[in-house]
Amino acid sequence: MDEQLGTIKVKLRNISKSFYSRKEVFEAVDNISIDVYENEFLVLLGPGQCGKTVLLNMISGLESPTEGTVQFTDNNATDVGFVFQKTAVFPWKTVMENVELPLELKKEDKTERRKRAQYLIDLVGLNGFENSLPKQLSGGMKQRVGIARAYANNPQVLLMDEPFGALDAQTRYQMEEEVLRIWEQEKRTVIFVTNNIEEAVYLADRVIVLSSCPAKVKEIYNIKLQRPRDYVNQDFLRLREAIEKNTDLAL
Amino acid sequence: MRTKNQKIRDFVLSAISVIVLIALWCAVSTSKPDFFPTPMATIERLVKLFEKPIMKVSIWGHIFASLKRVLFAIGASIIIGVGLGLIMGWNKKVRAAIYPIIMTLRPIPPIAWIPLIILLFGVGEFPKVLLVFIGSVFPILLNTISAVSMVDDMYLKVGKVYKANTWQTLHHIVFPASMPTILAGIKIAISSGWMVVVAAEMLASKSGLGFLITRGRDSYDVALIMVAMILIGIVGAALSIVFSFIERRLCGWMSS
Repeated sequence: MDEQLGTIKVKLRNISKSFYSRKEVFEAVDNISIDVYENEFLVLLGPGQCGKTVLLNMISGLESPTEGTVQFTDNNATDVGFVFQKTAVFPWKTVMENVELPLELKKEDKTERRKRAQYLIDLVGLNGFENSLPKQLSGGMKQRVGIARAYANNPQVLLMDEPFGALDAQTRYQMEEEVLRIWEQEKRTVIFVTNNIEEAVYLADRVIVLSSCPAKVKEIYNIKLQRPRDYVNQDFLRLREAIEKNTDLAL
Repeated sequence: MRTKNQKIRDFVLSAISVIVLIALWCAVSTSKPDFFPTPMATIERLVKLFEKPIMKVSIWGHIFASLKRVLFAIGASIIIGVGLGLIMGWNKKVRAAIYPIIMTLRPIPPIAWIPLIILLFGVGEFPKVLLVFIGSVFPILLNTISAVSMVDDMYLKVGKVYKANTWQTLHHIVFPASMPTILAGIKIAISSGWMVVVAAEMLASKSGLGFLITRGRDSYDVALIMVAMILIGIVGAALSIVFSFIERRLCGWMSS
């Protein structure tokens, strides 16, 4: 790396992950080392079904690597926020109850956590829907609840696992814009997983292209285009094409 | 949603089928009214029942006696069925230990328990409640076990990411996620409990709707038998309507 990107927030060192079934060994991740910098928007781009979600799970502590280490710079601050593929918003809780859940689990004082949750609900643009149930919300709105809930945990790193994959194209563009707006307002280190090249180039400070199974780091692109980015700008399209040629996406 | 016209249509259709049924009853019963009372005779018997209590218990008293037994038993079934079901669904070791016993006890019909229970506990209130409990605990227990073991993995992941402890996971995630299936189990339990209570009361009892049936048999009062049977049907239907209402209130979050 020839230029300084800021302080390192998370270090992944020689991470490998294999799953053992009775018949065979499935290698999902093979020897990945990545430094994640503070407040950067990092996008992991790779083909379907391989390694990306597993990588996020290992950073969040849901799974542990077969080999290698995940290290947070500050060992006492390892809280993450996780925005899931499908909306994992709890249908039996209102928007407010969903967003304040991480704080409730930490046994924070009720008025304090309500205040914080209200701020985040306003931030993601759901003011007025505090007492709505998820069944009354659209797909995009549910994902907004998921983002607010992830922020509520006051995360050191915000992990987003193809959060807009299930949305229609129009809503997807809108949510991409929104997630950048929210991130500009509440800066966090973001690791965003996608298999959509356009989405990656639109969002990222850095795109790490992963290979097909098992996932390895194939190439790293620093995206220096001005924000807000334009999907049909010449530089945008050139970059997009360059990445496209360099990926194993079978889409 | 049904429109107003559809509601009227449905009501008319229900009314017609009830009228047809009563007409058939009339037709069948007029030939041998002594064996099989006519609808009019049955209604007369019902009215008489209001005026003249049986075993010093009014008709409301008999209905209430049966209801009380069922509600106590269902209460116990819910506490034990849901409690044990949560533990068994959550902890695979506990499930492995207890499941074979449950699976073997479940197919034994409540009626088969009657002799043993009478020998052990006599003919008081407790053995009747116990019988209804046996008839109602299994659907609740089994539904709870399967609901808990089928909670969407995604929801459990959310709990793990935000570091919920076991109690918090059960309270915020597993229990509410299982609620619809648990309630479905309770609904089955109520209807099978209602059937069992009548059977229990027919064996040894001085009150309850089941008792009225045996009383009708012993005094060759066929109209009384009919009255008791119809009341059993109506109260049972009312129970399930009331419970459906509770179900909707508790699980309003489910997508319609």
